[in-house]
Amino acid sequence: MTTPEPTAGTLAQGMSAHRSRSGVPLKGFYGASDARDVDEAPGAFAFTRGRRADPAPVGGWIQRGLSGEGDPTRSNEQFRYLISQGQTGLNFIVDAPTQALLDPDHPLAVNAVGTQGVSLCHKQDFLQLLRDLPLDRITVSTSMTNGLFALTAVYVAARELGFAVDKLRGSVLQLPFYGEDVTYAVHVPFEGRVRMSCDVMEFCAKEMPRFHSFVEDTYFFSESGLNAVEEMALGFVEIRYLVREMLKRGVPIDSFAPRIAIVVNCGMDFFEEVSKLRATRRLFAKMMRDEFGAIDPRSWSVAIASHTSGLSLTAQQPANNIVRGTLQALSLVLGGASAIEISGFDEAFRTPSEDAHRLGLRTQQIIELETGITSVVDPLGGSHYVEALTSAMEGRIMAMIREIEGRGPPGDLIESGWFRNFFEGTIARYWSEIESGQRKVVGVNAHTVPPAEDMLLRDIAETKIRPYRDRIEQVREFKRRRDIGHVREALAHVYTTARGSGNLVMPVVAAFDSEATIGEISGTIRQAYGAPYDAHGMVSPP
Amino acid sequence: MNSSTPGAVRVLVGMLGLDQHEVGSLAVAGMLRDAGMEVIYLGRFNTPAAIVRAAIDEDADVIGISTHSWEYIEYLPELMNALSKAHCDAAVVLGGSVITASDRDQLLEMGVAAIFGAGSASQDIVAALRTLGATRRAGLARG
Repeated sequence: MTTPEPTAGTLAQGMSAHRSRSGVPLKGFYGASDARDVDEAPGAFAFTRGRRADPAPVGGWIQRGLSGEGDPTRSNEQFRYLISQGQTGLNFIVDAPTQALLDPDHPLAVNAVGTQGVSLCHKQDFLQLLRDLPLDRITVSTSMTNGLFALTAVYVAARELGFAVDKLRGSVLQLPFYGEDVTYAVHVPFEGRVRMSCDVMEFCAKEMPRFHSFVEDTYFFSESGLNAVEEMALGFVEIRYLVREMLKRGVPIDSFAPRIAIVVNCGMDFFEEVSKLRATRRLFAKMMRDEFGAIDPRSWSVAIASHTSGLSLTAQQPANNIVRGTLQALSLVLGGASAIEISGFDEAFRTPSEDAHRLGLRTQQIIELETGITSVVDPLGGSHYVEALTSAMEGRIMAMIREIEGRGPPGDLIESGWFRNFFEGTIARYWSEIESGQRKVVGVNAHTVPPAEDMLLRDIAETKIRPYRDRIEQVREFKRRRDIGHVREALAHVYTTARGSGNLVMPVVAAFDSEATIGEISGTIRQAYGAPYDAHGMVSPP
Repeated sequence: MNSSTPGAVRVLVGMLGLDQHEVGSLAVAGMLRDAGMEVIYLGRFNTPAAIVRAAIDEDADVIGISTHSWEYIEYLPELMNALSKAHCDAAVVLGGSVITASDRDQLLEMGVAAIFGAGSASQDIVAALRTLGATRRAGLARG
């Protein structure tokens, strides 16, 4: 199969005058008879109009940018700077080796240490990364593939730095379904990935009740050219699977559902993105109340954060990306997003620069402080068009969820490569739409200029981050100096826990305390699940 | 689906190191297949040594490296050296929007046959690869 089979979401090919990007047929104008009879207040079920009844006093969403580069010391300086600039939450991204759960001294890491995010390896790194930050006042979100390692890193750091762990706010991603196929493979079998996710959620339900233990990340996989319906349908399939797994463990729905959040993509179809957020809140609320029996209203209203689409940005005429980020952020504010990150305008050709991060933050501050848009909750609520589109999106997302779930256990679909084929199909579709001109992108297939004239903001691309080779030797030195007996003992405990059914969080914390590294602990978990310690066959257990 | 014809250009498509942004790589592989080429898809997590080995084993005419990280800056000199040591004559083509103007000159200097950045038209990529493939085949025929 080279293209996605037609589904509710995939029939559509691009945006035309008569269809939205994900294929909702559009009329020339909308009237009262087109919108469903909505008499719903913001802050009330089904939360279509937002999670809160009143406009928040300031902004109403967490303004942040993705940050982290080099070693923990450099990233810590970056974080402190961003907080001093008014950022109200951190979202740090780790480098490619850390995403893959490999240590900096792994042979494949040699040219990637610290270039696309911060390099993390052991306990001292976590402390260094988060020191001198007001962890009791800011949220610490993590853009790390594996939620177990992200959570334990934050836990260890907060505990050592003297903060009450049960008061911590922040989040970890859980992406056991699609991470392996489209972004950062960690080479732990599916069953093990699901188990790590559920262990984190169960641990947090008891010990870290304010922490979002499950952020469903539909951003990264939808960058493979998915439309908004496909994005949310696949996201919900994963959410529903993990929720059912938690219920099978006997964990009460209302103990963890309030701490599920979703981080979505945001593309260029303005009203569709607004409607996507509204439809997602409604779908989530109905699902939690009617299907999973949640009775706590906090379980019904899901927080939606968003990272604006990197795929929508162009390497051509990069200044245009500032406009794209602004329009996307505006649709997110109008859709009631709880936290927003704007992709760096330079993201199409480099890991975002400091300048691009700052501009993303300033864009949000301008929307918040200068436009008056935030004075009223859900200002588009009641628009005939937006209400009709919201309902159409809801119906299409639900239809696609049913269709995928009807194909059999999602684990089988993952292992058989069904989703990977699906993503390859959406990638091909996306590029053919651009190539054919069906999808117009200014600077790419419309209103292009010769490269020689395309120089504005171009110089920023030449500033590249070189790999932090020094760190490789530092990690080797760290490994030489520790008490290897302690490390082996702690890893053995991780192994036996992983083989059995106990919760992995505290054994992993104990392993970090023994000075074991991310690469060693993850390798041990891989082995417990019958996979090689190192998928690349290059390193051995300590 | 394999629509390649006998004698089609054989292209290895892969990525180096821990660069995991595979969208471009998959898109290009599909495009080359649609153009009738024989694509050997190596995917992610390759070292230069592994690429060279695969190029020899598969008798590749062209080695296509897709990059969305900065790792190519360090890996390309290593790859070019390894190819030359192994007497592998496959042409190296690099694609990705992270490649800047100043890199381009250095890479061409190093012996990279072609570089495709953002905005490269697929027909240009296909045409360049056909030429590179034909050139290598002609060289082989002459012995």
